Order: sequence, then C-alpha cells, then structure tokens
Amino acid sequence: MMSRLERQTVQSKRFSTLLIATLAVGASLLAGCSGDSSTEASELTIYSGRSETFIAPFLAEFEAESGIKLNVRYGDSAELAAQILEEGENSPADLFLSQDAGALGAVAEAGLLLDLPQSIMASVPARFTSADSKWVGITGRARVFAYSPDRVSQLPTSYLDMSDPIYKGRFGIAPTNSSFQAFVTALRLAEGESATETWLRSIIANQPKYYEKNSMIVEAIENGEIDLGLVNHYYIFEVAKALGREISVKDGFFADGDLGNMINVSGAAILASSKRGDAATRLIEYLLRTSTQERFVAETKEYSLLEGIAAPTGLPALSEIAAPSVDLNALRDLKATQELLIKVGLL
Amino acid sequence: MERPNPTEQKRTRAHLGGFTLTALLLALASIPSLYLILRVRSISSDELVAILARPKTVEIILNTFTLAIVVATLSVVIGTLFASLIFSSNFRSRGILLALSALPLAIPSYVFTYCWIAIWPSFRGFWAAALVLTFSTMPYILLAAFAALRRIDKVQVDVARSLGCNRFQVFTRVILPQIRNSIAASTLLVILYVFSDFGAVSLLGVDTFTRAIQNLYRASFDRQSAALLGLILVLFAAILIFAEERMQRRTINARSTARIKEEIALITKKAPKALAFAAIIAYSLLALAVPAYVLITRMAGNFQGIDLASLATATFNTVLVATLGATIAILFALPLAWTIISTRSRFALATEKVVLITHALPGVVLGLSLVAFSSRIPWLYQSIALLAFAYALLFLAKGVGATRTSIERVPHGLKEVATTLGVSPLETMRRVTIPLAAPGIGVGFLLILLTAMKELPATLMLRPTGFDTLAIEIWSAASINRFNEAAPYALLLILIAAIPTFILSRPDRQFQDEGGRQL
Amino acid sequence: MTSLEVNALTVHLGTRKVLDELSITIAAGTFTAILGPSGCGKTTLLRAIAGLVPPTSGTIRFGKQLVSVSSLVLPPHKRRIGYVPQEAALFPHLSVAENVAFALDKEHYTKDRRRVIVSEMLELIGLSHFGDRMPGELSGGQQTRVALARALAIEPKIVLLDEPFSALDAALRNELREEVSTLLKKRETTALMVTHDREEALVTADMIALMREGRIVQHGTPSEVYFAPTTPYAAVSTGDALVLPAKRAGESVFHPLTSGVSPESSESGTIVIRPEEISVSHDPHSGQRAIVTKIEYYGHDAVVEFGLIESAYLGTLKARISGNTEFHLGQSIYVEHHGPIRWFANT
Repeated sequence: MMSRLERQTVQSKRFSTLLIATLAVGASLLAGCSGDSSTEASELTIYSGRSETFIAPFLAEFEAESGIKLNVRYGDSAELAAQILEEGENSPADLFLSQDAGALGAVAEAGLLLDLPQSIMASVPARFTSADSKWVGITGRARVFAYSPDRVSQLPTSYLDMSDPIYKGRFGIAPTNSSFQAFVTALRLAEGESATETWLRSIIANQPKYYEKNSMIVEAIENGEIDLGLVNHYYIFEVAKALGREISVKDGFFADGDLGNMINVSGAAILASSKRGDAATRLIEYLLRTSTQERFVAETKEYSLLEGIAAPTGLPALSEIAAPSVDLNALRDLKATQELLIKVGLL
Repeated sequence: MERPNPTEQKRTRAHLGGFTLTALLLALASIPSLYLILRVRSISSDELVAILARPKTVEIILNTFTLAIVVATLSVVIGTLFASLIFSSNFRSRGILLALSALPLAIPSYVFTYCWIAIWPSFRGFWAAALVLTFSTMPYILLAAFAALRRIDKVQVDVARSLGCNRFQVFTRVILPQIRNSIAASTLLVILYVFSDFGAVSLLGVDTFTRAIQNLYRASFDRQSAALLGLILVLFAAILIFAEERMQRRTINARSTARIKEEIALITKKAPKALAFAAIIAYSLLALAVPAYVLITRMAGNFQGIDLASLATATFNTVLVATLGATIAILFALPLAWTIISTRSRFALATEKVVLITHALPGVVLGLSLVAFSSRIPWLYQSIALLAFAYALLFLAKGVGATRTSIERVPHGLKEVATTLGVSPLETMRRVTIPLAAPGIGVGFLLILLTAMKELPATLMLRPTGFDTLAIEIWSAASINRFNEAAPYALLLILIAAIPTFILSRPDRQFQDEGGRQL
Repeated sequence: MTSLEVNALTVHLGTRKVLDELSITIAAGTFTAILGPSGCGKTTLLRAIAGLVPPTSGTIRFGKQLVSVSSLVLPPHKRRIGYVPQEAALFPHLSVAENVAFALDKEHYTKDRRRVIVSEMLELIGLSHFGDRMPGELSGGQQTRVALARALAIEPKIVLLDEPFSALDAALRNELREEVSTLLKKRETTALMVTHDREEALVTADMIALMREGRIVQHGTPSEVYFAPTTPYAAVSTGDALVLPAKRAGESVFHPLTSGVSPESSESGTIVIRPEEISVSHDPHSGQRAIVTKIEYYGHDAVVEFGLIESAYLGTLKARISGNTEFHLGQSIYVEHHGPIRWFANT
C-alpha cells in the first residue's frame, strides 16, 4: 500500500533525472554540432551540388593528400545556390561546387563570390569560365539527344527537328531540369525571344513526354516508352551503371554548329565571406589537375575541360563537338527563361 | 482579520506564464509567413497582378485544390469506412487490422512514388499522385475516426435500438454524427498536408503550389515569385482553417452514469464480417505490397554493398532529431492548449491557427525562412537544435489538436476537487491533468515524431553539414538513380517509423474513471 | 472548530441571479443540511463557499477569517476546506491510498506522517486493505467513503458535501449516513451537506437550512423545522404536509377538518397540518366523515387518502397511520385533527 506512494516519489525523481540528462545531452549536442565556425586553415566547408557518390572519392583523395579536413554539404545545385543567396554574408560555406553554370552565375551576380587567381582561370579555356573571374568550369557536359538506334531511323540534325512530326509523341524533355533551362536561355540569347517561343510552342505541339530528370528520360527510352530525348551526354552511362547492365540507348550529336550541341559545365567558386580562400584555392587546383581530370573522364564520364585530355569512350572529343559559343555567364539570366517557360506552359 | 489575496480569475501567475509561452510560439510560428511577406514586398503591384493573372497560376491553384479535395474525399471515405467496419464488427484480430491499415503512415510519399514508378514506369500524373497521397493520408482519418468511435457509450446504441432503429440507422443517426468533429479535424490536417507535400507531386509531374514554388526557387533564384505563390498558399490554408472551425459543432459531453463495459457490435453475421475483413486486408496489401516488393528486391540486388555503419548513423540521427523535434513541439503545445482551454482568449486561438497555417507550407519555404532568420546566429545555424525546432514548427499542428482535446476531456470536477484539496492550479496541471491527458498527448507526440522522421526538404537545408538522416540518404541515392542503394535506407526508415505507427494503432489503454467511462 | 458565516451573498451564473443576498451562520462543529429542490442554488452556495465560483457581492467568513468579500476571493486551494462532490471524483490514475494522500504535501508532512494518516483514514472508513486498489475497482459507496477520507485527511476546518449519498441504494445510504456523521462529529468538523432528500436531512443533521430560489427560508433544528415551519413552503419542504385554506375568528380556527361555520368577520389564511396528526377511525364521534380514496402501504405505516363528504374542499387529504391497518378503498371513515394549529395569515 505504501509502496505505491514510495514508487511514485521514486518515479518522479527518476523523471527529473531523465529530464536533466536529456537537457544536458541536448545542450552538448547543440554546442558540439553546430555549424563550423572556426577559421583554421586545416578545414574547409563545401556546398556541393555534385552528388556524394561521384565526388566523394575525389574529395577523399584531396583530404588525404593535403591534410585539410573537408565538411561537405550535399544537395541540389540550384537549391544550394538559393540557400547561399539566403544566407548571404553569413554563409558558412567556403567553396561552392555546382553542377551547372547558372547557379554559379546567380551567386556571382549577388556579389558573394571571391575573385579566383589568374593561374586557375588560365588553366581552362575562357569560354568555360566566368568573365569576371568569379567561377571556373571543372568538367564539361554536352547537350545531346539520347536515342534508341533500333527505333530511330532518321536522326535529327538540329534542335529545330524536335518539332518534326516523325517524332510526334515519341520524345522526352525535362523542362524543370536546369540543363534544359540552360539550353533555352542560350537559345534566347542567340536567337531572340520570339524565335525561342516559337520553337517551344512547336515542340509542345509535337506532344513530348515530360520528365522530372534526365535519367528518367534515358530510362524511358530504354524501356520503349519514348524513342529519343534531350539530355546531357553522361546519363546513358549513369543509367547503365544504375541498372547494372548495358543499355541500348546512345548519345547523338546534332549537326555542326547547332545550338543543340551546347556545352555546359560543372564548376567551382569561392565565397567572398570565406576565411579559408587559400585552402579553397588548393582544392580547385586539385580538381583541375590532369590526373584528377582524367579520373573524371574515366569515372563519371564527363568531359574534361583541359586541352589534350581524351573524351569519354565512344564520344567525340570536346574540340570536335562543333558547338556554337555560348556565353555561360549569361546563363544566369534564368528569370526570363522561366517566365517564357511559364508563358508557354512548360513550367 | 486577514485580508484575502485579491486575485481575478484571468490573471493568475500561471495564466501569465501560459500567455508568455503562447506569445513566444506565435512569434516563432509566424517566421515563415513573415519571411514570405518580406520577400514579396519588393514586387511592384503591376508585376503582382501579372503573376496572379497568369493562366499557369490559376492552373496551379486548381491542381492543388482538386488534388487536395480528391485525396481528402478518398481518405475520408475509406478511412471512416474501415474504422467503422473494424469497430462495428468487433473482430478479435482488430489490433492487427488496425495496425495493417495504419502502416502506410510509416512510408514517406516519395518512397511510395519511387516504388510505384519502379514497377510501372508510366506511373505519372494527377491520379497517380492522388493514389499515393491517399495511401499516405488515409491512416490519419482511420485512427481519428476509430478513436472517436471508441468513446461512444454503448447505452446510446441500446436506447436507439429500443426506439426502433435498425443497426444501420443506429450507425448513421447516432454514431456518425458524434464522430463528425474528429473526422473534420483530421481531414483538415490531411488537406494541409496535401498542400505541403512535395515528394509525390514532383516526381509524378503534377503542378501544385509546392512544385511550382520549388521550381521557382531552384531555377530563377528569384525568390519573389516563389514567395508570392507561398503567400497565396497561406491565404488558402487560412480560409480552410476558418471554414473547418465553423464546421465544428459544439460537442456536448454527454455524461452518462451507466457502467456498461461491453463493446458495441453492429455487424455480427459472418458473411458481412468476412467481406469487411477481406476488403480491409486487400486494401492494405495493395498499399504495402508494392513498396515492400520493390524495396526488398532492390536491396537483395545490392546486398554486399550495404554500408552498415552508414545505416546505423543515419538511423541514430533520424531518431535523435525527430524525438527532439517532437519533444519541443509538445512542450509548446501544452501551454498553448492550456491557455486556450482556461482562457479561451482570441489571442491563443489565433496562435493555434497560425500553427496550422505553418503546417501547410512546403518544407522548402520553412527551410529558407529559417535560413534567413538564423544564418546570422552561427551557433544556432545548421545545428541539430535548429533542425529539431524546424520539425517542431512544421508539425506542431499534428499534435496540437490531440493535446488540446485530451486535456479538455479531463473532467472538470477532478480539477475542482484538486484545488479544494489545497493544490495550486499549476500543481493540479502537473498531478492531475497531465497524467490523465498523457495518453492523448502521447498520440500527438507520436504523430509528430513519425512525420519528422520522414521529412526531407527542410532537413536538406537546415541539417548540420555531414549529419544525414535516413530520408537524406534515400534522397542522395535516388537523385542519381541508385535505387538499389536507396532501398536499405528506405526499408529501415519504414521499420523505424512503423514503431510509432504501431503504437498509434493500438486501441488505447486509457484510464477509466469511476463510472467505467473511458477518458 | 470553525464557524461559517455567510452574509448577504449574491452569486450570478451568467446573467442569472442564483443566490440572492443569502445569509446564514453555521455554528462551529455542527452538521448542517441545506435542503431544497433542484435549481434552488444549493450546489452554487456550496461552490461559492469552496471558492469555485466567484460571488457578485456579500461576504463569507471561516471563523474570524474573511475568505470572500464581494469579488475579492481567497482562491480555493488556500481555503483548507474539505469538498466531497456529488460524483466522488476520485482521481482515476491514482490508487486509493494516493487519492487519500493527495492533499498531504511534502512541505508539511513527512513521508512517515503521510503513511500514518492514510492508514488512519482508511481504517476510519473501514477500507483498511484497499490502499492499492484503483478507483475503477470500487463500488459507489466505497468511492464516496474514499472521497470523504481524502477530504478529511488534511483535517479541514469545514467540510462541504454535495449530495454525497444520492447514487447509493437505500440500505447502504443509511449505513453510510450514520458513519459519516459520526466521523465528522468525532473530529468536531463543521459540516455543510446539500441534499434534496428530506429524510436524509432530518436524520443526519444537527441543523437544517431550508433553501428556496437563492435564499434561506428557515434555519433550525430538525424538530423546529419540522414541527414549527415558518412558512407553508418550509412545511412542505420537510415532509408531507396538508396546506389547507382556513379562517380565524378570535381563538377559533375553521378549516375543512373542523365542523362549524366561520363567522363573517373571520380572517382568511392557511393552516398546515401533518398527515400523522390526523386520526382515522370508524367511530362516528371522532371527526368528520370521509371516504377512503387511496391507500399507500409502507410496511411500518400507511397513508390513507380520503375525500371529505360534507366539505367543499376538494384537495388531496392524507392521514398517516400505523401499518397495522384494516381500512380499504371506498370505506367510510371518520377523520380528526389532533395537533398544533399552524396558522399563516394570507398576505
């Protein structure tokens, strides 16, 4: 009878102890796990739009070699850019690795990037860098059309051919994807607003299938849902790897000089608010080293931007892809592109 | 002669404390909405009108609403039906049936979607999204309806039958009207959730607010149009919340003195019982079989590659931060509920509504708003505390209702007796109200915990660098199409989330007061 | 021992005035029953004394301590009174022992002292081995007893009981009534019990206060209140009563049970007589002639309803006689009043 009363007091004592313990744990976690705020040169915070699976091995190599500890935050390039813009000068990031130039441009435009040293800017052809030394391209991504050789007899020669009735209902695009939007931006800058709008409306009339991601387009081609689609060149490798087998989908390039062959880049930039510019520079230098670049080509199947490095197997060399020159810096002007896409109903 | 202490009912110290905490909650819960307003400020009125008048905007609004209505209707119909069937048929295996039908709660909508796409590549579009979201949300209605059904006194059924109602009429005329309020409240939560869901709609290509907002943030880096859409969403959510409040009939606490402890059994014949049983099992299998099959086969396809250390860390992280978040949420929900109940002040009721609105916002909006407000505070930014707090803000709505009603249900007489026994109001809360309301509060806690474990967009933005939850791992693998690698994480997440789900589905062991009534 | 003084207490519930300048003084150590019909405000009076409902005006004093002056009130948890509500209201999540010990706070009572008090209380109410049971396991009578023990554990100055026995069957009720009043007497507690059951009030209480529409109509010992009601209403409240129209001329009172005609100059009024004051016999010389219209048999006594043959009075008339009766329906009888004339002038 009395044991119940005693039990109650013991229980409430235990509860208080548990509460205090929880608060203590919470407080220590709070203190210990907050964002990195030290200024030691032996650490670097990276916001990476490049996926962990692909970039982590490279970063690990750099870490081992340099002794600089890397804190990497993985995410989507565009979302990370939005986060950096929101963080502004308070951003804990030192380095931003982006999958596309538009994101880099947007952050540059907001004045948040540091000027990169000339040595870095010079190691890559100028058309793959930012004009104001704010960011540098690391790897190249060619826009191609992926297709099924069995089912497509007449290959398109120009992006304009996507409105050809021969492909009606049998091709795919990913309008929400940044690489597609980069292409549309390039088109706007090259051909003007109305021509771009006309093209967009013409392909919409040709009943494309819409996908969220480029990889989904390639998969759809593989399983026969569509016959071709506008993607980046490395997705056929990515999908093959994911499926664990060879796939029948191939990359095709448009005619020489066609804008459809546009080359986009993944790049790197250093945040102006960073106190570890030296360490960040070292990382970029590492990424642009020949051996690293060759690794990129071998492992992720991207193009190296350095002169003289071979293309991924089965693909033409970068210099051979007769792509028109596109001012990648201007690709940040996505707002107007977005409005156009919204206007025609793609977004 | 002693002078008594002058105290007026509404201004005891305890009330002041409650008000302060409520005010704090109001301030914090308003952060996302304030953020949106700040961003929108810089849009000129011409641009504003232009954006609003776009056919795409109208399409987005229509899509979102239609999807919400379709999902809500399906969930309500199926959820109420199943709850009623399980309740009326008095199955011995009732616990299993409830657990099975509630289990889809443990599966995030993006996992559902990935799995369905995996077996059916052309799975896309509005109805696909409706299907997935119905799977995800039906358990909320089911559990709420079932809990409400359990509170009905059998004596009413007996009286109704003696007055000439057949079993069906008893159900429609006596039972259903009494559970209406519970269903309405959980339907509101379902609709707000559909507003905020991103996983399913983005992968299936349905243009709702969240998808549009996400795309605007990602592509244009112009956060103004996105913010405007966000505000429209807030507006619609607010309208819905007010509408639901209107709909709530005042529940009359019918206190009967009957001590009937029997269960209510309306369906007793074998054939209908078997049919009901079969229908419930079939639906549950449909919902669960696809994810189970896909995930298990995918995982089997990559068995050697499973990184146990990473799995363990991710699991620990998920449980840690979700539990912290749910705790913070309840710590806020309690003073809010108490203030509402004891003062009915409009201020407190308004706070509750703001909390509900926050629930309707996409995780990306909440994430960015917290980034904006906290990136200036280095020790707070990207800390576990901040992430837990974000979860609390996002999902408080799920717990606030359960907390409030469970506290309300503690009989007033008990609290009065306690004060006459010399116990101050605050102590009464601690010794009488909270212990008795604990099961109901526990439900709220578990709901928040469950939802926090599955959260993705805000986690991406606010988590400490290197701190990955199971949801993040799934996303990382899936974003590069490595579904085999994603599968173990997805399975583990579902297993972990199944624990609170299972607890939620148990017919509650609650206190019975002296009249045999369940509290 | 503490007295209870209520002075001109007015209480509104919403806009309705429930207590209307009610005044009553309860002597220390007495057991007072507040008797009245439903809706007369008795529970509200109790709750105002307990501090659970704020008065509009008036004062309440416990002994010399002022606890309520107009709307300034000492909060209920500071009043040190015992309150036993109608439905016992035991805390369902606490055991019987924990319930009883609820008010014994750690500050003023050591663990040992608490244990002793609980065991004493349980013995007092005859539930010594019930300490570990939960309220849900107890019968109604047991719950009432525990509620009483809980209220008495802190040795309150005043105990308030709100129809504590209403939910119990007759035999249990009697037993419990006695136990409770003995218990309270032993501890010299001032007790106030609200009831609508006349018998209960008459049997258990030292003093009875009759209440009507928010006011006290009469306050006195049971026999005072029963035999000398101050108004016809008071008479009816405490027992069966015949309220008959009457006329008075000088010392003589004329009413339906008397023979003789009242003179013109008589004063009109009402008299109240009790059914047990009427004799029934076959003897034609003992009273008025009447016919038996109904007999209610109670075992130990019987109530005979009759109609007077030679009177214009048409109301129900009853006589209470010993149960050992040989009268039957339709029989001719003779009825006579033997008892005090309680005269009330018409106002």
